[in-house]
Amino acid sequence: MLSFPDVIDRAVEGPLMSDQDYYLKRYVPELTSVIQKYKIKYNPETPLPSDDGLADTLFEAAVDFFSRVGAYCPDTSRVMEFTQDEILRAAAEAPAEATFGEGPDRKVMRSRKPDDHSEPWYHLGGGIYTTSEAVFMNQVEGLASIRKANSLSIPTSINIRGQDARVRSPHEVLATIKTVTMARDACRRAGRPGLPILNGISTATNPISMFAAAYPTFGLRPSDGYLVDSLAELVVDFEALDKVAFFTNIGANIGSTSTPLFGGYNGGAEGNAIVTLVYNLLGILVFRATYHYNAPLHTKLRVSSTRPLLWIISLANQALHRNAPFATLNLPYLAGGAGTDCYYYEMAAYHTCVVTSGGNVLSGHPSIAVEPDSILPLDHVLNVEFGQAASKLTRKEANPMILKLLEKYEGLLKDPPRGHRYSDCYDLVTGRISNAEYEKNADRVREEMKSIGLPVVKST
Amino acid sequence: MTEKEAAEKLKEAILSFDENLAEETARQVVINKLDPLNAVNGGLVSGLDLIGEKYENDEIFLPELMMAAKTFSSAMQILEPAIMESGQERTIKGVIVLGTVKGDIHKIGKDIVILLLRNSGYEVHDLGEDVDLFTFIETAKKVNADAIGLSALLTSTLSGQKDVIDALVQEGMRDRYILMVGGGAVTPEWAEEIGADLYAENAQTAVRKLTEMIGSRK
Repeated sequence: MLSFPDVIDRAVEGPLMSDQDYYLKRYVPELTSVIQKYKIKYNPETPLPSDDGLADTLFEAAVDFFSRVGAYCPDTSRVMEFTQDEILRAAAEAPAEATFGEGPDRKVMRSRKPDDHSEPWYHLGGGIYTTSEAVFMNQVEGLASIRKANSLSIPTSINIRGQDARVRSPHEVLATIKTVTMARDACRRAGRPGLPILNGISTATNPISMFAAAYPTFGLRPSDGYLVDSLAELVVDFEALDKVAFFTNIGANIGSTSTPLFGGYNGGAEGNAIVTLVYNLLGILVFRATYHYNAPLHTKLRVSSTRPLLWIISLANQALHRNAPFATLNLPYLAGGAGTDCYYYEMAAYHTCVVTSGGNVLSGHPSIAVEPDSILPLDHVLNVEFGQAASKLTRKEANPMILKLLEKYEGLLKDPPRGHRYSDCYDLVTGRISNAEYEKNADRVREEMKSIGLPVVKST
Repeated sequence: MTEKEAAEKLKEAILSFDENLAEETARQVVINKLDPLNAVNGGLVSGLDLIGEKYENDEIFLPELMMAAKTFSSAMQILEPAIMESGQERTIKGVIVLGTVKGDIHKIGKDIVILLLRNSGYEVHDLGEDVDLFTFIETAKKVNADAIGLSALLTSTLSGQKDVIDALVQEGMRDRYILMVGGGAVTPEWAEEIGADLYAENAQTAVRKLTEMIGSRK
């Protein structure tokens, strides 16, 4: 694989181009051309496709497109170009597994195969910020206490002495350190000090805060995971490369992340399926990642659970895991608020698509995500149960169930039900469920899922 | 060519993103001394309205919005001088200054809002990303803006929206502009807290709400 210094060279030696020209003269025309060349076609009847030929064609299309457009570096106004051979070599050397955590919680996350009945990795939590320290500790402890949790995303705490931490400010450095320290303490309180945190480092928007909070005193370790983002679409800036330079040198796990935008430069389903896959290849080659967060998103609805987006996440995972085994977590932004039926239906559809396509579970993120305190640990138990149930199905078996679930929630996406906050359902002192109706409804939803074909088993 | 035929062809040019057809038809409008303003409003703008509807229904996406805008500009380069020569003036719905606030470098959401506003008949001054608060204010003064749009995707950059509003209050100019906020991290509660006039959860809503608000103020 191309060395990292060679990758950096591409950012400083590639052809000069304005970002406007990059998108208008290169990105959009080449994407249109690749979709036509490979005859990629979205079918709304199979939101969970099971056509291996189509998956392999998507992989070819993604490699071709990536070699035509490269990535854009705004710091140098240059295009980082890569040949098909360089991309394919990176794909061939993709890390098929990554090891996280310490002690009894040291585990291996793997790239799975489509229709593989192995149990997926369960990564729980979300990037939802919370302003209250008490709720933060309870939420993280609650998530870490879920027996099947393999790793956590910790919330973002942007509040320092009553003030919101501004981006790139010293407040942000302090808030990031505080977040990491509290999260590790909360894991310890749950009896799982070695449980890996894979969204290193929430709260940090820039390398300075990330590097500061990665200092070992604060509790993070190389066996946790550190996220490096591309900006939509295919923008790789120096801050991202700075993070790669640092985290590769401390031997840490790097998670590449991406949010391809449905309705943006990628257009609709076909373009987004190609670009979703490209981001994985970029993660391997440019960000030297050991795992990837996929999070394609609808620009208007701000969710991942629409019919075409289910097709995109399914097909991109199938194409990747058949051709370049690389462990993926797949982040569902769900319209329904925490604890609502809409949220559970979307979650079941999304995880079933992902798990039967070879991906791993990242628990659902209510799309009213900017509301604080909407992580409810019992919701995340259901995420695990639904993911586990999905691993017992094949893509063909599951597609009719996805259609039934879509019937239940598709009409709600534009005006989804608002959900609960932590304090509506949990006792803030004991961290126990205080809302019996909420718990009862979860049981009812489990039964409903079984009745439509998802073999959910209630956790003990 | 009649005025009706010209309008139909211009509409068709917008809907098919056909710059050649748009330019050729615009030339015919000028050569045949047809009313250029009618050609714009009855043809190009009608086409853009339909483009807006198609975008709303997920039938087309950002690349098509950009192509429609480019087709519109091609025709306008020919029709604009003819409009001025005829002593008429094209109605602009409003003048907007828009950008992503300091510390935030996200652009696509803001770009979509700008395209939809332009396609709807607004004059938009795109300030780009990571914009200093005084750049918003100075530009708004310079172009005599009706509204200032502040985009922020990150929770930690929301304060950049408040800063602009605070600075306007400090300079005694708060009531001069409609303050519109949007972006991934923005909530209606936040918009209310900082005293913004208008919160939009997506680009189409931004255009609709702004049009209503400007209309009610005029």
